[in-house]
Amino acid sequence: MTMFGWLGRSATRGILTTRYPDAPPSPAEAPVSAHAPEPPPGVAIAASAVNACPVRAIAPDGVDQCRCIRCARCLAQGFEFSGPVALATAARADRPDGPSATRGAGAPLARLGRSLHVFLVDVGSCNACNLEVLSIAHPQYDASRLGIFFTNSPRHADVLLVVGVPTEAMVEPLRRAYEAIPAPKAVVATGACAIRGGVFEGNAGLRSGVDEIVPVDLYVPGCPPPPVAVLDALLRLIGRERTEAPT
Amino acid sequence: MTRSGWEVETGDDPPVEDGKRALAYRADDGALALYNDYERFRSIVRTPKAPGAGGVRPAPVPGAHALAEAAEVAGYGTFTFPYGPISAGVPEAGKFEVRTYGERVLGLVPVGGFKSRSVPASVVGLPVADAGLRVERIAGNLSASHVSAFLAAVESAEGRPVPTAELYVRALAQELQRLYNHVRQIARVAEAAAQNVGLAQMHALGEEILRLQGSVFGHRWMFGALLPGGPTRRVEPADRDRIEHALGRIEAEFGALWSLLLESRTFVDRLQSTAPLSKESAISSGAVGPTLRASGVGWDDRLRAPTPPYTDLFVSLPNETAGDALARILVRGAEIQASLVILEQLFDRWPAEESITEAPESPLGPGRGIARVEAPNGDLVYDVTVADGRIRRLQFRSPSTANWPAFALSMQDAVFTDFHFAFESFGLVFAETDG
Amino acid sequence: MSAPYLGVLLTAAVVGLFASAPGAVLARRIGYGIALASSLLLLAVAIATLATGPVHGIAWTGPLGDPESLQLDGLSAFFALAASLVWTATSAYSIFYDDRRSPGLAICYGLTLGAIALLVSASSFLLFLIGWEIMTLASYGMILQATGRGDRVFSAAFVFLAFGEASTLLVLIAVAAFHVLSGGFLEGPVSGAGALTSLVFVAALLGFGLKMGVAPFHLSEWLPIAHSSAPSNASAVLSSTLTLAGAYGLFRVVSDLGSPPAWWGGLMLAIGAISVLLGALFASVSEHTKGLPAYSTIENNGLILVALGVALLAEANGLTELAVFALFAAFFQAIAHAVAKTALFLSAGYVEHATGTFDLSAVAGGAKRSDPGETAGTLAAALSLAAAPPLAGFVSEWMILESLFQSYRFSSPEAQFLGLLAGAAVALAAGLIVVAMVKFVGFALLWKPSPGATAPRAAGLGTTVGVVGGILVGLGVGAPWILTGIAPGVSAFAHAAVAVPVGGLLAVPDGWSIVSGSPFGILSPPVVPIAIGIASVVAWGYFRLGGGRRTRTVEPWMAGSPPGRPGETYTSFGYSTGIRIMLRSILRTREVRASVGPVTEAGLATPVPYNVDLEVLDVFKLFYDDLVAATAAVSDAFKVAIMPGRLGRYLAYILLVTLAVVVYVAVAA
Repeated sequence: MTMFGWLGRSATRGILTTRYPDAPPSPAEAPVSAHAPEPPPGVAIAASAVNACPVRAIAPDGVDQCRCIRCARCLAQGFEFSGPVALATAARADRPDGPSATRGAGAPLARLGRSLHVFLVDVGSCNACNLEVLSIAHPQYDASRLGIFFTNSPRHADVLLVVGVPTEAMVEPLRRAYEAIPAPKAVVATGACAIRGGVFEGNAGLRSGVDEIVPVDLYVPGCPPPPVAVLDALLRLIGRERTEAPT
Repeated sequence: MTRSGWEVETGDDPPVEDGKRALAYRADDGALALYNDYERFRSIVRTPKAPGAGGVRPAPVPGAHALAEAAEVAGYGTFTFPYGPISAGVPEAGKFEVRTYGERVLGLVPVGGFKSRSVPASVVGLPVADAGLRVERIAGNLSASHVSAFLAAVESAEGRPVPTAELYVRALAQELQRLYNHVRQIARVAEAAAQNVGLAQMHALGEEILRLQGSVFGHRWMFGALLPGGPTRRVEPADRDRIEHALGRIEAEFGALWSLLLESRTFVDRLQSTAPLSKESAISSGAVGPTLRASGVGWDDRLRAPTPPYTDLFVSLPNETAGDALARILVRGAEIQASLVILEQLFDRWPAEESITEAPESPLGPGRGIARVEAPNGDLVYDVTVADGRIRRLQFRSPSTANWPAFALSMQDAVFTDFHFAFESFGLVFAETDG
Repeated sequence: MSAPYLGVLLTAAVVGLFASAPGAVLARRIGYGIALASSLLLLAVAIATLATGPVHGIAWTGPLGDPESLQLDGLSAFFALAASLVWTATSAYSIFYDDRRSPGLAICYGLTLGAIALLVSASSFLLFLIGWEIMTLASYGMILQATGRGDRVFSAAFVFLAFGEASTLLVLIAVAAFHVLSGGFLEGPVSGAGALTSLVFVAALLGFGLKMGVAPFHLSEWLPIAHSSAPSNASAVLSSTLTLAGAYGLFRVVSDLGSPPAWWGGLMLAIGAISVLLGALFASVSEHTKGLPAYSTIENNGLILVALGVALLAEANGLTELAVFALFAAFFQAIAHAVAKTALFLSAGYVEHATGTFDLSAVAGGAKRSDPGETAGTLAAALSLAAAPPLAGFVSEWMILESLFQSYRFSSPEAQFLGLLAGAAVALAAGLIVVAMVKFVGFALLWKPSPGATAPRAAGLGTTVGVVGGILVGLGVGAPWILTGIAPGVSAFAHAAVAVPVGGLLAVPDGWSIVSGSPFGILSPPVVPIAIGIASVVAWGYFRLGGGRRTRTVEPWMAGSPPGRPGETYTSFGYSTGIRIMLRSILRTREVRASVGPVTEAGLATPVPYNVDLEVLDVFKLFYDDLVAATAAVSDAFKVAIMPGRLGRYLAYILLVTLAVVVYVAVAA
């Protein structure tokens, strides 16, 4: 009886799943704060805007998306959430020749083709990133249709997806997880905290980013990055990310 | 003495020794007095401490020292099974030390501190708005409750009046987040019971709530939305209609899923009598929230220590007595329906005045304020000292902190496979325990 | 065929076995050396007998006027072969085993071996019984030789003696009744199935079954071994060859009883199946490095009974081919078990030598990889007992299951159903015994030892275990040829020449394979290792020569926690707790908690430290406990009533007994 109930529900719900990456993310999938903040076009960034930013993401020469926590205070300074949603990058803006800048040229796991197994490690997050990452497996995003799966053991994983700002207590566990993953492997630092501490940057007992501990292939900015941004990063690892058609 | 919703009664409660929980209670009244006991709160609240260079050392969660003793169980073949800090079953950094002779849990000690970002220590000296950015990131999925409690404590300390409309926005955010957390918790239990269709549809419902939050507050987790100086959106009549419409859909959807789940014998059987927590244990261990209500103690801050707008609303109090995982899940399901009723009343009484939150023009007098809020997983208490618009001291007692001992107690004599049912039914969050 | 020179050799072997003298270490070693030489001699004689035919040794006329001699026919040669294989290993092991125990062990050891050699080669009841009783007493002596003679040890030895004497009593009844029937011992099958024949069968089944340690007498097997710290060489002799002696007696009597009624086979099958299940179940939850193999012995002797039971049932149903096949299975099971169990006990001795403990949870890898011979030999023995190809135990288990599969051929539905149940029990036990063997090998030898554990290399011991493991591989791989070799034993049992191979029907070795009925099942033991070998070489070549495969060694993943911290590793006890809890109704699992902390006055659920023990119980022990209590009560009453120290009552008792005897003799005459 129950089974027929479920079947009926499944049939009547229709298809919930996004068409991303074949189509751009819909407004429902990416609310305003999912987009990158951009300074008002054609105007130099004012000192008041630089001062308004609580995490020093705004500098006179541009916005460091890796630091931005989407607090929206810069909106009062004429900024707008109008940039792209998918921002995964292979290099940290503040560290152009850092250890990771040389990595990530091309898709590091392209040879894995259509199947990617992801191991999620939390090293000190607020849970928002964890839940956003996990939600790519939920019906609206359904990562399994793209060959992306979560795995419960690093031994079966291809990707180490790290969320949160690394605490001292999690340094060794993170290193162990990295060691336990067989090659070829990639590391994705997801969220402002994992990249360089986010709003907690500089707190006592915290590392300033995952790449202090393990080599990172991709940084996914956002606080937290929306599920489509996580999907984009994982697809980027195997060279199947959405590319905008040239206009 | 009455202090912003904080009733202090001395009564004939037993004295608190060395931070150990007061054990004796007489009747419900006594228990309720216990929950109003200011001293008791002081004994379990976390005092902020800046960690040294080595960071916070992971340690058994507060209140777990009695459980640590239980974990000293000796006997042939017994050993400690370390579970965590990176485990797939718990999508957070936290560890459990399980004392066992295999298969059966003889004692369980939750070990926290792996994700301590030292928020209480780090906000000292910051303006309220900047501190708020950190407070809402203590636990992202409980941000509305933490921010509301934090702001209420600050406002109480400063003696500043708050526009009613703003309180309504906070209540709206809190109730939406309650919906999300309860739905997610039910989905996680369904996952543990391998109810795959149910879990997928519950998660789909959760995502719909997140999207609703995103469209109303501009951010899927409502970060920044409630803070002074943030882009607080006015919830315009058109917005409200949209939300009400969405809530109607969510109500219908949840109702259908909920009845289907409860019709599934395998689901109900697996939860029934799993990880039981007696009324006595719930009270003596200091449990709060749905955990407490599932064990037959009717305490809810929205009802027993209400602050506006809850003072004006009818709040029903879902209650179960069995104290097992099923009871905790049933309470959550009923609370989803109760929250929908509360939201309906909110919209019916929505105040007409403007609801723009401005940064205080001139900081009001220094002081200390305490506020408590019924978070999705229980009673959340903030204790903030403010001066010149900056935080002097911040401490809080999260519902997870209060519920760990109850969880550990309920797991005694359970088997390993009960773990996920028990854990998910309690709705425990390491992020807010560690702070 | 008579060959006097073989008789002389046989006699020398028996004498040599007795020659292990007590004394200093060197003397003890010389004694074990003589035992080794004698064992090898007996091995040679047994093989020669199987190859060329029965031998007759010294013959004389006994005190009762019966002709007596030491001789070997096919049946006894087979058992002599199995036993001498075991003794060769245990004697060699004993030379290296610095047992620091009472020197009396060596003499008891030699006596036990000699007594078994005597009873196997006895041609008359009297000699057989003499051998039987010496064996019982000498092995009682071995159990007594444990270090630290606490009450527990004494009680374990006493249990052994009690069961041993009960066994002798039953055997005495069986043998006496048989003497009435036929007037001989090795004389061909007696005809007719009267009440007396059945009495012989039942008494023999119970008496010899007692020695084999099958249910409901399995207490006699595990208790003396698990509850005494008798050295491992002694345990191997007890568990491998004492049970073999019991099996020999049973085979001999059943062989001579002739056409069996169906219920004999049924009874045997039922007892066997219950033993198999109980033995495997208790082995899987055993925590004692010698208790676990002892329980496994119960299982294996149960398997022998199952095979023999199928053979009897098949014969009663006129299915000669199936009967012969099952007989081969029973024979092969006997030898496979004897050899494998020897290796396992010797391995337990090695582990004890290295770690000083018998508790598997305490051993926890203490003897890890310290000796390649030890590791390989233990692995082979455990795999064989767990019935993994290509080892000997696999072949015998396969043959037994094959013959059980064919129980549908029995005419009566009861027999068919019994065969079905027995098959299920054997299959279930096969699963449980894997748990036991994984536990033994895993926790004794493969588990990562906790830091600080050292494993001293015990010279020679490991090598012996390794050699026995090699024999097991040989027995398994060469099974078709071994079966051909032991065919004279089966022929002697059946009192008819068993052709090898038997047509194309239910047959034994068919070239390289074993066939159970032309359309039914085929197994080729030699092909398995050949296939494994080829696959290994190909894989090795691919990875080694194909080039470029990098190997990275990483620590075990323990959910991010540092692995292998003391007290944080799984124990062997924890490994099998699942079974303890799931099968608690059979195992009588009971948790005993002793609080060692204060209890709150309100009685609230505040946890306090406590000590916990999860105990299992052999329900049959309860029966014996009751039996002991009842016997003690009756004896006590008897003592109070008859022997209170009053002369009058005592004289009256003697008078009455004397009168009763006189009356009986008068009536009987």
